[in-house]
Amino acid sequence: MLRMTLAILRKDVKLTLSRGNGLIQALLLGLLLVFVFSLSQGIGESLSARNAAAVFWLSSAFCQVLVFNQLYALEEVNQSRLGLLLCQRPIQAVWLGKAATGFLMLLLAQCVFLPATIVFLGQNLSGPLRPAFAVLLLTDAGMCALGSLLGALAQGQTTRESLLSIVLFPLLTPLLLAGTGVGAQAFGTADPDGPGAWLGMTCAFDAIFIAAGLLLFPFLYAGDD
Amino acid sequence: MPAPNAFWNRKTTPLFPFALFGGLSFACCQYLIYCYAPTEAVMGLMQKIFYLHLPLAWWALFSFFVVFLGSVLCLFKRAPRADSLCAAAAEVGVLLSGLALLTGMVWARKSWGVWWTWDPRLTTTLIMWFVYAGYLVLRGLDLPEGRKTRMCAVVGVVAFLDVPLVFISARIWRSIHPAVFTSKEGGLEPEMKLTVMACLLCFGFLWAAVVWLRKRQIDSLAALDRLARTGATAFDATKE
Repeated sequence: MLRMTLAILRKDVKLTLSRGNGLIQALLLGLLLVFVFSLSQGIGESLSARNAAAVFWLSSAFCQVLVFNQLYALEEVNQSRLGLLLCQRPIQAVWLGKAATGFLMLLLAQCVFLPATIVFLGQNLSGPLRPAFAVLLLTDAGMCALGSLLGALAQGQTTRESLLSIVLFPLLTPLLLAGTGVGAQAFGTADPDGPGAWLGMTCAFDAIFIAAGLLLFPFLYAGDD
Repeated sequence: MPAPNAFWNRKTTPLFPFALFGGLSFACCQYLIYCYAPTEAVMGLMQKIFYLHLPLAWWALFSFFVVFLGSVLCLFKRAPRADSLCAAAAEVGVLLSGLALLTGMVWARKSWGVWWTWDPRLTTTLIMWFVYAGYLVLRGLDLPEGRKTRMCAVVGVVAFLDVPLVFISARIWRSIHPAVFTSKEGGLEPEMKLTVMACLLCFGFLWAAVVWLRKRQIDSLAALDRLARTGATAFDATKE
C-alpha cells in the first residue's frame, strides 16, 4: 500500500508542479483573500491577531478546495481512474497518496500565505512558535485527510468547487477553530489556557478524519458510474 | 410493498398513533407549561420558551443520529430503504435544529441582551446546522441513484462526527449556555423537570410521526419516478 501511495504522491506532485497553472490558481486565490481583508484596515491600523489568523486559515481552506479538485481531476481528465482501481493494491492508497500530495501543496501555499498575512495584515510572530507549528501541521493533516475523502465525492460534478466547499467547510470548522486559536497566540495574543487544549482537540479530529477516510474512501472511489 | 391505501391504515403504519399521541400530548403539555410549571423569577414568562427549545435541540440531535445509523446501514448492509429514512431524518433534523437556534436566540436576547454570541454551544450547533444543510444540498443534486445514495451515506457518517462536539462543547470550553440536567446545585425545580420531560416525550411522538410521513413521501416519490422511467422506456420501445 505504501509503495502505491508514494507512486501516486510522486505522480501528482510532478503533474501539479510541472504544469503552468498547477498551484498558481490556488495560491492566487489565497493571496487575494488576504489582500482583500487587508483593505478593511485604515492607514496605520492593523487587524487583530485573531482576525489575521482566521484570514490565514480561510485562505488555506479555499486553497485546499482548489488543490483537491485539481488532484482528483488529474485522473478524471485523462479517464484513468479505472487504471487506479484495477491496481492490485488497497484503494485507500489512492486516498492516502492524494492526501499526502494535498498536504505538501498546502504547506507550500502556506509558506506564501504566512508572510503575506504578516505583511498585509500587520502581524508579527511574537508568541510561542513551536506549538503553533505543531498545530499548523496537525490541522493541515486533518484538513487533507477530509479533503482527500470529500474531493473524491465531488469529482465528476459540474459544480464541484461549490459542492466541495459546502460540504467540507462546516466539517473542518473545529480544526480551523483550533488553527485560529493557536495562530492568534503565535501572533501575540495572550491566552491563559495556552495551546494545549487546542492541540488535543486537533489530534482527536485528525484521528477521526483519518479513520473516516480509511473506512469510507472505497465507497466513494469506485468504477461503477 | 404496501398498497397505496395503507398510508393511513393504523394497523400497518405507526404514523397514525404517533401523530395522535403526539398531538394530544402536545396539547396536555401546554397545560403543564403554562399552569403547572412555576414561572421563573428572573426571566418571567420568556423562560417558557425553554420547554420548546430543549426538545427541539435534543430531537434534532437524535435525527442526526438516525441519519448516521441509516448511512451506516446504506454503506455496509446495502439497505436501500435506509436511504429515504436518512433523507427524512436529515430534513426534520435541520428543521428542528434551525428552530432550536431561533428559540435560543429569543432566549439569548432576553437573558444575555444579545441575539447571538460566540458561545461554544451556539457556535457548534450552527456548524452542525451548516453541515446538514450541505448534506441536504447534496441530496438535491441530480445524480445517478446508486452514486447519490453512496455519496450521501458517506457524508451522513462524516457529518455525525461533529455532533458529539455539540453535546460536549459546553463542558470542554467555558460556556455561558446553562446546563439543564446537572448534578450540582442550581438545576431545575421538580415541577419544571417533570414538564420538560413531558415535552421531550411528546416531541418524540411528533418527531416519529413527521419522520415517518416524510419517509413515506420520499418512498412514494421514488416509486413514481421509477414508474415514469419504466413507462417512458416501454413507450419508446412500442414506438420503435
